[in-house]
Amino acid sequence: MEFLSHSPAETEALGARLAAALRPGDIVAFLGGLGAGKTAFVRGIASQLAPDAEVSSPTFALVNEYSGRLTIQHFDMYRITTMDDLYSTGFFDYLESGCLLAVEWSENIAGALPENTLFVRIRSLGGDGRAITFEGKEAARIEAALL
Amino acid sequence: MKLLCFETSAKTASAAIVSEGRIFAEGSLTTGLTHSQTLMPLCQSLMQSAGIPLREIDLLAVSTGPGSFTGLRIGISAAKGLAQGSSKRCVGVSTLEALACNLMGLETLACPVMDARCKQVYTALFRVSGGYPQRLWPDCALSLEELGEKLEGFQEPVMLTGDGACLAYEALAGKLPLLRLSPPGLRLQRAASVGFAALAYLKNGEPVPPGELLPQYLRLPQAERELLKKQQAAQAASMEE
Repeated sequence: MEFLSHSPAETEALGARLAAALRPGDIVAFLGGLGAGKTAFVRGIASQLAPDAEVSSPTFALVNEYSGRLTIQHFDMYRITTMDDLYSTGFFDYLESGCLLAVEWSENIAGALPENTLFVRIRSLGGDGRAITFEGKEAARIEAALL
Repeated sequence: MKLLCFETSAKTASAAIVSEGRIFAEGSLTTGLTHSQTLMPLCQSLMQSAGIPLREIDLLAVSTGPGSFTGLRIGISAAKGLAQGSSKRCVGVSTLEALACNLMGLETLACPVMDARCKQVYTALFRVSGGYPQRLWPDCALSLEELGEKLEGFQEPVMLTGDGACLAYEALAGKLPLLRLSPPGLRLQRAASVGFAALAYLKNGEPVPPGELLPQYLRLPQAERELLKKQQAAQAASMEE
């Protein structure tokens, strides 16, 4: 099932709708390159779960923490290329933390993501148009919740 | 000689006060990775309940790895901070050697196993013959499969201990009928064992100033190509604006 977005605001709104279906310990992993709207989507999720948070891409910090009703750990794996890199972000410890994990550039750590990961693939349709699909074991539950 | 000991290398946060052959006080929590919130209150309540103030402690002991990146840093920071503030020295010990000390007094090969994620483990092998564990393998990071291959050559029971013991047992017991799972009371990381490993080290070694205490990370074996296994496919499908 494809969800269409015509602007960053619409991408953010889809993230906000998804938030209601997310639970502690869930992992949302994004697939899609520069400018796809990954951070806008996370901003949407955070607007519902941690409304006071200022969401930005954790390019340099590697992980941002947003506290609220549910704590969100927002990762950017752009510069992560080895298991040792990943280990030293503390990623494996966050998996046990009961936080919601939002992972940008999850392509880089695909081999280390657990089975219950929800993948959000954002594909460009040209201009501001985006086709957003959910993949993984949790996809059907999420799609049902969004309808 | 009294040691105040910390163990935070995995899901268990543990603190203890020990001396040679004796545990004065010990507390362990295996309730989640909140060691930064639980370790110091646990330590404080132990010392209060035991009536042993910090000035009666001679040395700080802590497991320095391998283990969880965040966990190790919490335990080591706690030991460093207390040692620095009270002008004491520290002993760092291998998490895996401390785990082997859980089985002291038994007659068995002891294989401590820690879950390093992605079907990888931190492990080592010791022979326990009543006394202090005798090391057979150095601390290493292996895939579960490699651990199975390495254990195949042993024609006697091997007892698994550590937070990854069940993981290894489930993965390997079918192929290795001589694998044994340690009983729950001896399985997980505990600070008293860190203390006994530190006391054994002190028979020939010297404690260090807190500034010299460092985490011992082990390189994980999984290749970069496996971490990135889906990257090429993803790149092909990614944005082309």
